[in-house]
Amino acid sequence: MPGPLPLLFRQTWLYSRFELHRLFMTPRGWFALAAFTTIWYFLLRYPIYQASVQLQEPEIQQMLSGMLGMVGMYNLLNWSLPELSVYWAMTVFFMPLAVMFSAADQTCTDRSRGTLRFLTLRSSRDSIFFGRFIGQLLVQALLIGLSLLATLVLAAWRVGELPAAALNAALLIWLNLLIVLMPFTALMALCSALVRSSRLAISLAIVSIGAVAGVLGYLVWHFPDLRAVLEYLPGAQLPMLLGAQGWDTLKHCGLPLLQTVVLLIAGRFVMQEKAL
Amino acid sequence: MSYLIEARNLSKSFGQKTVLQDLTFSLPAGEPIALIGPNGAGKTTLFSLLCGYLPASSGELKVLGHKPGSSALFGRVSALPQDALLDPNFSLLTQLSFFGQLQGMNKSTAEAESRRVLSLVDLAANADQKATALSHGMRKRVAIAQALMGSPELVMLDEPTAGLDPVNALQVRQLIAKLSNEASFIISSHNIFELERLCGTVLYLEHGKLVQQSQVHSASTQGYLTLTLEAGAQTDVLPILRQLPGVISVSDSQKHEYVLQFDAELAPDFDLTLLMALRQHGWRYRMLTKGQTLEQQLFAVTAKQA
Repeated sequence: MPGPLPLLFRQTWLYSRFELHRLFMTPRGWFALAAFTTIWYFLLRYPIYQASVQLQEPEIQQMLSGMLGMVGMYNLLNWSLPELSVYWAMTVFFMPLAVMFSAADQTCTDRSRGTLRFLTLRSSRDSIFFGRFIGQLLVQALLIGLSLLATLVLAAWRVGELPAAALNAALLIWLNLLIVLMPFTALMALCSALVRSSRLAISLAIVSIGAVAGVLGYLVWHFPDLRAVLEYLPGAQLPMLLGAQGWDTLKHCGLPLLQTVVLLIAGRFVMQEKAL
Repeated sequence: MSYLIEARNLSKSFGQKTVLQDLTFSLPAGEPIALIGPNGAGKTTLFSLLCGYLPASSGELKVLGHKPGSSALFGRVSALPQDALLDPNFSLLTQLSFFGQLQGMNKSTAEAESRRVLSLVDLAANADQKATALSHGMRKRVAIAQALMGSPELVMLDEPTAGLDPVNALQVRQLIAKLSNEASFIISSHNIFELERLCGTVLYLEHGKLVQQSQVHSASTQGYLTLTLEAGAQTDVLPILRQLPGVISVSDSQKHEYVLQFDAELAPDFDLTLLMALRQHGWRYRMLTKGQTLEQQLFAVTAKQA
């Protein structure tokens, strides 16, 4: 056996890779892929395609620019293709919710079934926890990449050719979305370590976000000086992110990365202490 | 001396309820070790502590010199946990191969090892099936197979034959007996006769306390013979047995079963004397065992303690 650290990396990678195996080699994964493809077919066919056609009209562009400018999102329409603008605006709010469902079962079912007992005899709880988390990120990276590729194909079909800036923009959106989703995936890793079913993990995550927002809202109401704490909630940076453009968007990655680290530390602690 | 397992003042509580209380014992490598006790005695909790599934509330526990769950034990310690199931989404081969890879094997070695352990439990033909397609007994055998992957030094089996039909239970017992030269086994079971056949050392737990740690075939049992007669119309067996030279006491522990305590120095050939007495009275016997049965050893002592 290698030393503890190389062993941790090796086993973490094995767990991460196994999540891809779960997606591509099991009927459950095939159903998830089929559902993903169907949803994206309808999203591309109707909202994205229709909206991008509408956005070609100068009057509509002018009106939307004015409206979005009022809420600080004037840059939303400045992506190199209207399809990417619509994709970005839609996914940045829709994907975190989707991830709370898709990443809910990182360890909970394995714990209630007893499968973790087989695994912890051969690998550390850390490698299971972080391996599953990274596996979820790999799956998300792959699926976001595929949906972006489909969006680019749709745009290319409409305009006849794809500007080079579009590839750069797609890469930026891909990176930003992954960063946006990280704290939500980490939150689900924590919730999954706490409870014994994915349904409970989803409920716990939603209730936790609601409860924290409620308590903070109450505190801010009574102590307005605490308003800044609201900016630390998961997803709080999204309106600012939509207002940014190009590489400037990555200026907002600090908060989600910090949230991810904090949630992962909490999740690791729970995973270490929890009885199997 | 390095021990397989060392426990010192080990306790485990769940809230107000103390499940294991101040256990201190050391177990050397060698013959299989039996963990025995009534329901609720704390056997499965002790197993869970040994496997690192639960942290101890207090005290110290070491397995092969390391804290349970430590990375130094990966691949060296394996277990059949009670009621643990494999993932129903993957085939047996996929999962066992994955376990092998976690233990440090490459993909092809892990696959070959998976097929080897599946064939040990007579499930090689089911390698591509999922756990959901198997019966309860087959799932149990797969769980035993995963515990044999690689070359573990210590294999802990919690109720290995519970739920198995007699043929498969016998097969599992034979497998343990065969592999006990290569690895040390700790077996928890309610089947005292099974443990008697397999194990050399017994840990007897009751109400979370270690009541006894003894050898199944220890020197203290050498002055005992256990005789089982064939069913028939034998009468006056007890008085006749009590009159044999060298006999200290005779008790009828079960129907047609007699435990004879004798003075081994005074009557070194007591077994021959007994056989001659059987022949003289025309009594046919089914079994003559040197020493007491494990059941008598354990429960005679606990009854005395009570």
